[in-house]
Amino acid sequence: MDLLSSADQLELARVAAEFFTEQSPIGAIRDRRDEPGAVSRKLWSAGADLGLLGLSAAEDIGGAGLDLEDEALLFRELGRRLVPGPFLSSVLGARVAALGGQADLARSIVDGEVLVGLALRRDGEPGGGGPVEGTFALFDTPDTRYVLVADPSGAGLLDTASLAEVQTTECIDPGTRLAYGRADGVVPLCWVPAEDDPIRSRGLVLASAVLVGIAEAARDLSVEHAKTRVQFGRPIGVNQAIKHACVDMAVASEAAWEQTLFAAISLRSGRADAEFQVLAANVVAGRAAIDNAAATIQVHGGMGFTYEHDAHLYLKRAHVIEQFFGSTRDQLDDLLSQEAAQ
Amino acid sequence: MDLDFTAEQMEFRDEVRTWLTEHAPTEPRPHLDAAAMREYDLAWQRTQWDGGWAGIAWPERYGGRGLTLVQQLIWYEEYARAGLPSVDACFVGLNHAGPTLITTATEEQKNFHLPRILRGEDVWCQGFSEPGAGSDLAALSTRAELDGDEFVVTGQKIWTSFAMIADYQELLVRTDRDGAKKHHGITWLICDMRSPGIEVRPIETIEGGAEFCEVFYDEVRIPVANVVGERDKGWRVAMSTLSFERGTAYTASQVRLSDTVEKLIDLARERTGPDGRRPAIADDELSRRLATARAEVAALRAMTYAGICRNLRSDTPGPEGSMLKLYYAEIAKRVARLAMDILGADGLRATSRWDRPFGWSGNYLYSFSTSIGGGTSEIQRNIIGDRVLGLPR
Repeated sequence: MDLLSSADQLELARVAAEFFTEQSPIGAIRDRRDEPGAVSRKLWSAGADLGLLGLSAAEDIGGAGLDLEDEALLFRELGRRLVPGPFLSSVLGARVAALGGQADLARSIVDGEVLVGLALRRDGEPGGGGPVEGTFALFDTPDTRYVLVADPSGAGLLDTASLAEVQTTECIDPGTRLAYGRADGVVPLCWVPAEDDPIRSRGLVLASAVLVGIAEAARDLSVEHAKTRVQFGRPIGVNQAIKHACVDMAVASEAAWEQTLFAAISLRSGRADAEFQVLAANVVAGRAAIDNAAATIQVHGGMGFTYEHDAHLYLKRAHVIEQFFGSTRDQLDDLLSQEAAQ
Repeated sequence: MDLDFTAEQMEFRDEVRTWLTEHAPTEPRPHLDAAAMREYDLAWQRTQWDGGWAGIAWPERYGGRGLTLVQQLIWYEEYARAGLPSVDACFVGLNHAGPTLITTATEEQKNFHLPRILRGEDVWCQGFSEPGAGSDLAALSTRAELDGDEFVVTGQKIWTSFAMIADYQELLVRTDRDGAKKHHGITWLICDMRSPGIEVRPIETIEGGAEFCEVFYDEVRIPVANVVGERDKGWRVAMSTLSFERGTAYTASQVRLSDTVEKLIDLARERTGPDGRRPAIADDELSRRLATARAEVAALRAMTYAGICRNLRSDTPGPEGSMLKLYYAEIAKRVARLAMDILGADGLRATSRWDRPFGWSGNYLYSFSTSIGGGTSEIQRNIIGDRVLGLPR
């Protein structure tokens, strides 16, 4: 049993963190507010060159063949820095393509040439590999060739251009591009049944890792402010009302991170209760991210209510990611129907 | 990274499981009679000693098994899975005094006390809090005056569980009243509870527990040889004692809490819910609270595992133990409250947490102690804020 990061894993996280800090400062979200895509192609290609899109992909499609927990470490860094763009859906899309017999496509996703957005089902019955029907919320589809659909029965790729009645709308998060659209019997390019590979569960783990990153960043922002903001002649962090709020953020982040790692390892190693652990991770991580981000707005007072400050960006992204692959309410219902943990 | 236990550890788990099935006490714990409780807890500890299961992670030279915290965890997991009662009277000896003596005491003290704790010969109690020194523990004023090779102790301790049946006490006293800093001048003493001048009075708790006490000391003579660590420098020793309590000592409770949540889910499946027709688990609000409890207890376990992995690299738990304790206390209270909401009017029947199959109302009332004992949740938050997050004081 070992839940501690190895030196290699810490190095991986450090390299990713350094790259995002230099290439994707949070302020760029505000700068690109009116651009069609939330992420520049230049940044996307640079990330791909660094191998960020193929960490867990097989080596024959240009990946590094690492484990899900390594990828969770990367996505935690993505969350901490609110990196925009369809990273999660592209990484999962490459896996769906590879397992669905589209090796060339998988390679071009890992290379950064093809982007994959996320289509989140709003209604309609999951098709199980046949033609896809229903309406979808579409995340970060500008510049994408495909969208990922991940139902409990399996996951597939749909041609972005095949979606009908696509209505682009402003997302609460200026770092996310949102649209709503319909699929009228669209045949997926490829489909991977959940029993062959739990794509949706992988998505839940990586989404949880992003949420943990957001929760931690909100904690750090609060702690820094509590140390430096002076009122009544002393830093506000001396007051228990502020101090304890910061501590609750720290505990929530810690619990969510350890559970996310536990879930990643469970899923990768095929533990019998993997689904239980994954759902649990998503519940605690979703709550930690939204609660911490909400609390950091309060800790920052009037500054936290301004568009210029970063606090709201964490809250908004947390709400977006929390919806991925089903909301916390859905996960809770699923979790209760599971067998008890091992 | 992995969650796998080694072949050796799995074999250990099998052995524990088999042994517990064959040797666990079948009688309910007598929770209303202090003397009977002492006999029950010590007899069970003696059985564990005889079976070779006492002090799994304690050094071999003091009677332990010399194994790691992973084996200790496996023991706790199997213990909770078997639905066995916690041995409260042995808690301070095994989880508090014992670990403190191992890191800080003289060889003579260790050689005398540690095997006695493991063999189930002695009950220990804690003498830290005082009426005027609760959260502000360093304000303690029970004084010890040096007289030859003895300290003469006069004062009062409170919230001392099992004092009426204890053999020894980890006693914090003030040996220097002139120091500028109140943290200086405190000494950690081993107090023989049969010493003349000690008077123990019971305190009834909100759940009717029979183990809470206050202790009065009237010129009690304690040999200087009973100082653990250095004289006047007991604060540091006390903090390490508490870090044991906040760290590994809660592993058993954490494991048991996950068992409690599963029992509660079973209960919600069996019982009619608030609408009087469907089972309680069909109620949206109750079911989501149950699922949330499942998620939180899972995260608590992941934190515990991670904590054990970190502890394998360092002997004394750090302030992260406060995070575990804080998270545990909040969840334990929510779970206990949830049981009351599921039971409705049926939950009003007075029960004990020792009742079988399960005394939910007793468990609920007892749960209020989880965020008070061993340092309140507010104090834990101060510790985490100051020492983990580096916030200004």
